Amino acid sequence: MAEQQAEQRIIQTLCRMCDDRCAINVYLEEGRLVDIDGFKPHPWNRGRLCVKARAAVDMVYHPDRILKPLKKVNGKFTEISLDRALDEIAEKLLAIRDQYGERSISAWKGEAIGFAQEENMVRRFLHAFGTPNYFSNDSQCYNGRYFGYRLVEGVWPVPDYENADCICLWGANPPHAHPNMTQMIMRARKKGARLIVVDPRLSAVARQADIHAAVRPGTDGALVWGIIHLLIKEKMYDMDFVENHTTGFAKFSAYSQMFTPDYVEAETGVAAGTVRDIASTMGKRAPKVAIYMGNGPEHHENGINNIRAVACLDGLLGAVDVKGGNRVSEGIDKNILTLYDEIPLKHLEPIGADRFPVLYDFRQECHTMTAMNTMLSGDPYPLRAMILTAANPVMTNPNTQKVKKAFESLDLFVVRDLFMTETAKTADYVLPAASFLERTEVHYHAICQTVTLARKILSFPDCTDEYTFWHDLAHRIGIGNWFPWKDEPELTEWILEPAGITLKDLEAHPEGIQYKPIRYKKWEEKGFTTPSGKLEFASRYLKDLGYEELPEYKPPAYHTDPDPEYPFVLITGARKLVYYHSRFHNIKRFRTAIPGPEVEMHPSDAEKKGILDGDAVTITSRIGSIEIPVKIMAPNEILPGNLQITHGWKEANVNFITHDDRFDPISGFPLMKAVEVKLEKRSG
Amino acid sequence: MRIVTVDPHSCVACRNCEYACAFRHTGDFDRKDSRIRVNFYPEAVVCIPWTCVHCSDAWCMEICPADAISRNEETGAVEIDSRRCAGCKMCMLACPSGNIHFNPRDHISEKCDLCGGDPNCVKFCTSGALNFEEEEEAYTSSREAFDSRIKRLLAEERRKNG
Repeated sequence: MAEQQAEQRIIQTLCRMCDDRCAINVYLEEGRLVDIDGFKPHPWNRGRLCVKARAAVDMVYHPDRILKPLKKVNGKFTEISLDRALDEIAEKLLAIRDQYGERSISAWKGEAIGFAQEENMVRRFLHAFGTPNYFSNDSQCYNGRYFGYRLVEGVWPVPDYENADCICLWGANPPHAHPNMTQMIMRARKKGARLIVVDPRLSAVARQADIHAAVRPGTDGALVWGIIHLLIKEKMYDMDFVENHTTGFAKFSAYSQMFTPDYVEAETGVAAGTVRDIASTMGKRAPKVAIYMGNGPEHHENGINNIRAVACLDGLLGAVDVKGGNRVSEGIDKNILTLYDEIPLKHLEPIGADRFPVLYDFRQECHTMTAMNTMLSGDPYPLRAMILTAANPVMTNPNTQKVKKAFESLDLFVVRDLFMTETAKTADYVLPAASFLERTEVHYHAICQTVTLARKILSFPDCTDEYTFWHDLAHRIGIGNWFPWKDEPELTEWILEPAGITLKDLEAHPEGIQYKPIRYKKWEEKGFTTPSGKLEFASRYLKDLGYEELPEYKPPAYHTDPDPEYPFVLITGARKLVYYHSRFHNIKRFRTAIPGPEVEMHPSDAEKKGILDGDAVTITSRIGSIEIPVKIMAPNEILPGNLQITHGWKEANVNFITHDDRFDPISGFPLMKAVEVKLEKRSG
Repeated sequence: MRIVTVDPHSCVACRNCEYACAFRHTGDFDRKDSRIRVNFYPEAVVCIPWTCVHCSDAWCMEICPADAISRNEETGAVEIDSRRCAGCKMCMLACPSGNIHFNPRDHISEKCDLCGGDPNCVKFCTSGALNFEEEEEAYTSSREAFDSRIKRLLAEERRKNG
């Protein structure tokens, strides 16, 4: 057979199969994507990738990809032209506005197509239209950590892993969640850094930990207060920094006294000696202590205060914005798409802003769990329409049953996505969306302070990019003046104008452009961006809102007031390498790697119940049940009495049993990592 | 020559290398098809990635009765020719490090072939535990790593005693 020389091209862009955004080479043959590997010159991932990246080839050409707009007619989806779909959607939006007012219309920003500018485009669209109701998964992820740190330091700094002498990962498992962080952590370890991992489970990264503290879920606050207590008692803290750059230390110090190592051991299950080891390791290696907070602690009823207390460690250790500590990353100078100054809409009662004022104050984020109630009840006002892009709340929000009902109750529900997700199934219109390889936008790596171009590599006719979609809809409903840019590249040029960087510059530098040099100790000149200008051990802002001034510790309810009928504590949402939340379960070889859902269980619990590895069990909470096979772990991989189920599986959607009526009082986050359940072996 | 070096102090047994190897050779993610293997021992909390080092004096090559094993002159890799392999498993017995695996589907032995000089396992290793480097450099860097560990231990010991 004669071999023909196919036209081959290699283009650099960024992978968006997760939020790590690793630099990749994309190989094209005759315009068709054939392979992906790592692009070595980019300082972020240095050519290394996880196996999700290569699967973008499968995702883009997947036979189940939605390529035509769909409209639900009599319960069935039928094809419709894109123009016609947009015309109908526009007409319905205006009719709903006329009947119920602007705020009855909302949008939800998802992540399955990448999300750099997209978020601000949605926010712009909503405010231009006159509604504050912007939703995303950030009412149960990320914001909790952001709030915890912002309340103390004014920002959430980035860990300066590469220069650290001690790295502490708190409820975070980078190898499965943020794979690219792993190499930075391991490089630091090779240079002598100690690794501390706080996690109820022996996670992948804990396999290399010098100290693994297996805390009982939600008791993180007791552990960190125990560390604080020892650092202060042993005078191992940075007195000069505390004296000159912090507020509230006297109260903070007084409150810490009750957290003796023995108390901490009784409360958290972490041995008193281990608490001492952690404190002395941090104290001796200060200020080069880099702490990364994961998603684990934010899913508990005292989550934000626990995270605040961890953030306070930065102040004690003098580790804020120093080399090897937690660095305050500087952003790029750019034009901002949002309209919060031009068109403030807080008076329209954004959903959830009254219950969780910090969520709206800090992030202009509306509360998705309150939204489900509002859709169903019309209280405090009707919420009748939603445009959702590439999110899958039916799989990822707590109380699946209610989420489904709420979406089905809407007068207009539009979903844009790559695939027919469980959420899309409940929609009135499903529109095809462009994947990350089908659009042009820029991304920033805070740790390197670089900006990198993610490029449009290919396209499908009806799969429009984000900007085109919002632009075309805006022009149909009379707010086109807010969307004057011709296309995504032109918009991107505008965003970057103040930085003096053009798309051409970025095309010439696929390794990224560092927009500002890395600088440390910026607080010396500028102070902190907190209300007091100092690092705040105690928060006046929270006190004025009626919360505790100090990041006090409150034990989880399952611990103080256990429900005898539901004796197990279920952790949900531990990450698995090949899946990203509810995504990629349709990629065949990922199924070979991890074939299905499992509940992870301690061998002693399994033995007591007469359960063998692989047995099917029924897990029940106060709101529902699921059936799922058991995976029996090694005795040190999970605590007795705990279970773990990873979310995202249609076959056993754990959110049928998670609660949407109990929250962290500051962030409004649901308690996804301490669900009280019972477990029974399935009979027959 | 360049070989795949492994660092058990950085490996987290995330399985990226095994999936990447299996994918390169079969198009799927069955870890049993991977030529690099990572063992995680929870009781000891130890991760050991291990793959062929392409011995300069390769016993597998010497013992193979079918003459199916040879050295790739370009990459230096010791490779099994699947068309010649009779599946007798002699190479597996001869290998001092257990890095030859039997493929029961095709009744042949399989081992690392360095992917023709660009090993996929290294490209998809997110912890940095795997590297593709010159043998000499690898020995030097492992010597340096060993030295620095001993140095630290001795210094700590001295501090404790003095």
